[in-house]
Amino acid sequence: MKRITIDPITRLEGHGKIEIFLNEEGEVANAYLQIPELRGFEQFCIGRPAEEMPRITNRICGVCPEAHHMAATKALDALFHVEPPSVTKKLRELFYSAFYVTDHTVHFYALGGPDFILGPDSPAAERNILGVIHKVGVEIGKKVINTRKRNHHVIQMLGGRGIHPVAGLPGGWSKAMTKEERDEIEGYAKENVEFALFSLQLFEDIVLANKAYVDLILSDAFTHKTYYMGTVDKNNQINFYDGMIRVVGPDGKEFVKYHPEDYAKHIAEHVEPWSYLKFPYLKDIGWKGFVDGKDSGVYCATPLSRLNASDGMATPKAQEFYEKFYETLGSKKINGRYQPVHYRLATHWARLIELLYAAERMLELVQDPEITDPNVRAPITEKPDEGIGGVEAPRGTLTHHYATDENGILTKVNLIVGTTNNYAPISMSIKKAAQGLIKKGTIISDGLLNMIEMAFRNYDPCMSCATHSLPGQMPLEVVIRNVDGNEIERLSQFIN
Amino acid sequence: MKTLVIGLGNPILTDDGVGVKVAYQIQEDLCSVPHPDIDITEASVGGLHLMETMIGYDQVFIIDAIILEHQPQPGKVQRMAIDDLRNLSPTQHSASAHDTTLVTALDMAKRIGLSIPTKIVIYAIEVENVLEFSETTTSEVSKSIPFVAQKIIDELAIDYNLSIS
Repeated sequence: MKRITIDPITRLEGHGKIEIFLNEEGEVANAYLQIPELRGFEQFCIGRPAEEMPRITNRICGVCPEAHHMAATKALDALFHVEPPSVTKKLRELFYSAFYVTDHTVHFYALGGPDFILGPDSPAAERNILGVIHKVGVEIGKKVINTRKRNHHVIQMLGGRGIHPVAGLPGGWSKAMTKEERDEIEGYAKENVEFALFSLQLFEDIVLANKAYVDLILSDAFTHKTYYMGTVDKNNQINFYDGMIRVVGPDGKEFVKYHPEDYAKHIAEHVEPWSYLKFPYLKDIGWKGFVDGKDSGVYCATPLSRLNASDGMATPKAQEFYEKFYETLGSKKINGRYQPVHYRLATHWARLIELLYAAERMLELVQDPEITDPNVRAPITEKPDEGIGGVEAPRGTLTHHYATDENGILTKVNLIVGTTNNYAPISMSIKKAAQGLIKKGTIISDGLLNMIEMAFRNYDPCMSCATHSLPGQMPLEVVIRNVDGNEIERLSQFIN
Repeated sequence: MKTLVIGLGNPILTDDGVGVKVAYQIQEDLCSVPHPDIDITEASVGGLHLMETMIGYDQVFIIDAIILEHQPQPGKVQRMAIDDLRNLSPTQHSASAHDTTLVTALDMAKRIGLSIPTKIVIYAIEVENVLEFSETTTSEVSKSIPFVAQKIIDELAIDYNLSIS
């Protein structure tokens, strides 16, 4: 079997490496994204007091500390058998919504969006936020920076710290919101709604109005029919902070709905010899390999998945766009529910609809009369034993599972992080993108990196905690290996 | 003149946190010296967020971990300017989908007229282990912490006329 490796060659060897295996005929047999294992996390945690977990786990990742902080805090609620006061849940969700606004904004404008705004064939050096500013105008850069600034300010106000929040407590939140803070945040939330609407309009003007881009979204190269996972509220509408985990099949039918604490009953992990990371799949379907379809346990947990797994959005404007999304992409309603959209590149649009939902939800919560209630902590009266907490991280369903002794000292820690859910579908998408450009041993070098980047970028995969590091970005390189595994070609686009 | 000293990294990921430890060390060493125009902080963020952190400062010192592919020398310290980072990034394609480089972020800041520092100094410390959770850096890397802290304090002492005993 021939092997192609897309290999980063900088700071972390093996970091985010992509390998493509060819068969005897020179066609793509399989493609894998390899993410390095960060070792010893459970051992690092065991023996520490459980209440440290919201502050430890938010160090795991430089991209979404808020998501880990929230999942850890909810796991502590369960561990200590304490129900947070109603205002606390609202404060947490408000904080979390502000985080979603910043996170989805940076993905669309700096990472995923440039593929469309600049065009998939534009030079890689231009497909970034600078290119967006060049094409759309300086004002857009200011809007992005201002959106991030005001929401980071909210995160700092509510979470106690700007980068690694500290406010989460078992059964509580360490500070109440003042009336002045409420007024300030209300203004920001309104600006967020405007910004989200502006972003959706931009998507329509630039992407949906361009037939070539729409054809690309609808193309088979970026289509996968899998199961979809997302957290839903009691009305089966999307919720990022709390709810039941709902999984729908490729045909749109609900496959299962379960409480996050039952994750182990429904999710199993497949092991491959070439990867440290495991591949979660639906236990009741089973692992059938990296394949699409109803009989394959592969599922996906992304903005697109959350839309597919829900019956709609819980806020009015986002719901309008939800309907437009499915109508535009040709989905039919069956028994009152839209059929899933399987076009992976539509995830970028779905992400913007979630951005609008997060902004609207933020406004709803800050206008809730209860939000300044000072009663933000519930007393802990029971001994801790075991607890599971889950949230929807921007990159997928995030689950924290802790067990302790009766003094609250950790004895077991297990995490299923957002990107892990999508590990199998990411590999499948990379394979499909590569198949389009590698035929009978002929490799179309130009465009291979672009296509592969587009294929995995829509999942917004998080390569964990080294994202801050010099030089700040993990470069891609393609190594093509012959049938014996020897390197025959190396592809990359060097700056110098 | 406002200065920001920023230690980058994850303090619970062995050597990855060396930058943060240097920042702590500088903070400790300067605790008895008034330094109202010098802020010292830590962060574990991507390029865009890092750039945003720098807004409003005249100069910034960044301390970060680095792994070089050839002939690794853990503990080796390099003092770099921002343009050196351009040369470190060998391809324009990124495997990390949720990040933009500091160089791109700073170029963007200039383009939209944000007030970013005119001087950015980077102390890059070569590291060994960034895949294992631990609060302790490896031995060679640990030795670099007081060294780099002192180098930066020396630079600050000149800029601010600090008298440090």
